[in-house]
Amino acid sequence: MRVKKNRFLLLVLLVILPIAFVCHFAAGEISISWSTFTDAWLHFDSSNSEHLIVREFRFPRFVMACLAGSALSVSGLMMQTLFNNPLAGPYILGINSGSSLFVAISLMTGFTFFQNDFGLVSSALIGALVFGFIILGISFKIKQGISLLLIGLMLGSFSGALISILQYLSEANALKMFTLWAMGSLQQVQTAQLPFILLLFFLGMIASFFIVKPLNAFVLGETEAELLGISIRNIRLLIILITAVLTGLVTAFCGPIAFIGLAVPNLVKIIFKTQDHRILLPASLILGAVFLVFCDIVVQLFAETLPLPINAVTSLIGAPMVIYFIVKRIAR
Amino acid sequence: MKLTNLHIGYSTTLLEIQELNLEAGKIYALIGANGRGKTTFMKTLIGQIPAISGGISIGNKASSVLSPIEKSKLFGFVQSRFAGVPYMKAKEYVALGRSPYTNAFGRLSTKDEDIVNQSFSTLEIEHLADKFTEELSDGERQMLAIAKVLTQETQYIFLDEPTAFLDYSNKKKVLDKLTEIAIKLKKTIVYSSHDLELTLGHSDELVCIAHEGNDVRSFRKNEIEFEGLVRFCFGVNSPN
Repeated sequence: MRVKKNRFLLLVLLVILPIAFVCHFAAGEISISWSTFTDAWLHFDSSNSEHLIVREFRFPRFVMACLAGSALSVSGLMMQTLFNNPLAGPYILGINSGSSLFVAISLMTGFTFFQNDFGLVSSALIGALVFGFIILGISFKIKQGISLLLIGLMLGSFSGALISILQYLSEANALKMFTLWAMGSLQQVQTAQLPFILLLFFLGMIASFFIVKPLNAFVLGETEAELLGISIRNIRLLIILITAVLTGLVTAFCGPIAFIGLAVPNLVKIIFKTQDHRILLPASLILGAVFLVFCDIVVQLFAETLPLPINAVTSLIGAPMVIYFIVKRIAR
Repeated sequence: MKLTNLHIGYSTTLLEIQELNLEAGKIYALIGANGRGKTTFMKTLIGQIPAISGGISIGNKASSVLSPIEKSKLFGFVQSRFAGVPYMKAKEYVALGRSPYTNAFGRLSTKDEDIVNQSFSTLEIEHLADKFTEELSDGERQMLAIAKVLTQETQYIFLDEPTAFLDYSNKKKVLDKLTEIAIKLKKTIVYSSHDLELTLGHSDELVCIAHEGNDVRSFRKNEIEFEGLVRFCFGVNSPN
């Protein structure tokens, strides 16, 4: 009964996604007809500016909204399960702080790993991985998930402080560039970068689908999972690695996008009323995409009158949701 | 399960067991004052804490060579309290006991489903199956935790203070069921408690931890002398 209902709900979500695509496309500043959209792919004319808008702006922006929403939601879900805490998210581990710190360093001191278009992206990815590996290294020593959570928070404050110092010392132009990045944007991605992003995204997703069984056991806590024959160290390592790649990827290309990783998995649990990750994982994946596409539609609708950064919109919608969860949980 | 010259503890020996046999179809009560190492004792037996020295053998096999998955098919452990998980139904919880046997994606076969249902009916808690774990009482959740360990189909079942959070009628209910399971399903059941009076009627043998020193002694039901037992375990005279 419940299983059937949940499958139906998943199907509903899947149907909403193409609808969201249509709305997202239609909400763009310059209205473009659907025939132009198909023409842009079937009979591409590089001198036609509408074709260029479709191929270089609208389409990658939509794809990126889907990927970022999914990746952050799935990461959030896995963090919440790993730490047995509904308030955990990809940010809590400090992975995102790693990205921010490295981007701040490269923007405000001029130090970059690669002197090309990929400079900023590589800094963010390397930062995510470096902090991911720090947490990973500590996770070999520490058995309790809750201590790891605290260490993640400490890493966050530590890099936050370093960033503040950098901001204080840096010149106006660099400061502006960093602030813009920190606001988040789905528009920075170019079509040529999509294959690389898709590859990493799918690798992360496939890996997470292969750990649904350990994730289900982790819901009962690490002690219980161990009693059920699950190697907790290996699984914890895998979860942190997958989260570092997925979060790092999104942060690199879109900047730090808040709240999705925290809000969406909680929403999914409320809707589906289960702890079975065979349902929660695909549901977070789809709902995450729908949520961020929806936020980006809002951004596009206000683009002319009030240019809102995507990060402001996710927080504006996400923050009240999170407050609602906390109040509802504690009030019970 | 046979224990010989077993030294238990973290860095220094906390408990010392000369010899102890745990047999199928019997229920053992582990008695000791708070903080004397009952949980450490049980966690050592299920291989979660390594022994300092000495051996634990099962059949002809040393338990130290077992893989995590082999352990999970041999030893079940019930923690003293299952507080419930938000959005998790009783059936979902009990079915997790099948984890050591299911495929990579945790898919339940019809045989697995049957075993889950069987556990519910053995404990006579079928009416709880579709309820959320958070909405149940402590007594009901304790029954669920036992149902979960039954679906794990382990020969050995260890329970850490299974009655600690229960009222008298639930205490009796849980211990009655455990005694019944040991006999009917030929399981080896070990549970810890400091409630000496209650365990006397619900055990074949008492394994007692001395109130000081490293001594652990076991007493068969017919050789128990209550006064001496209280002094040995708790270092005080019986109030009766």
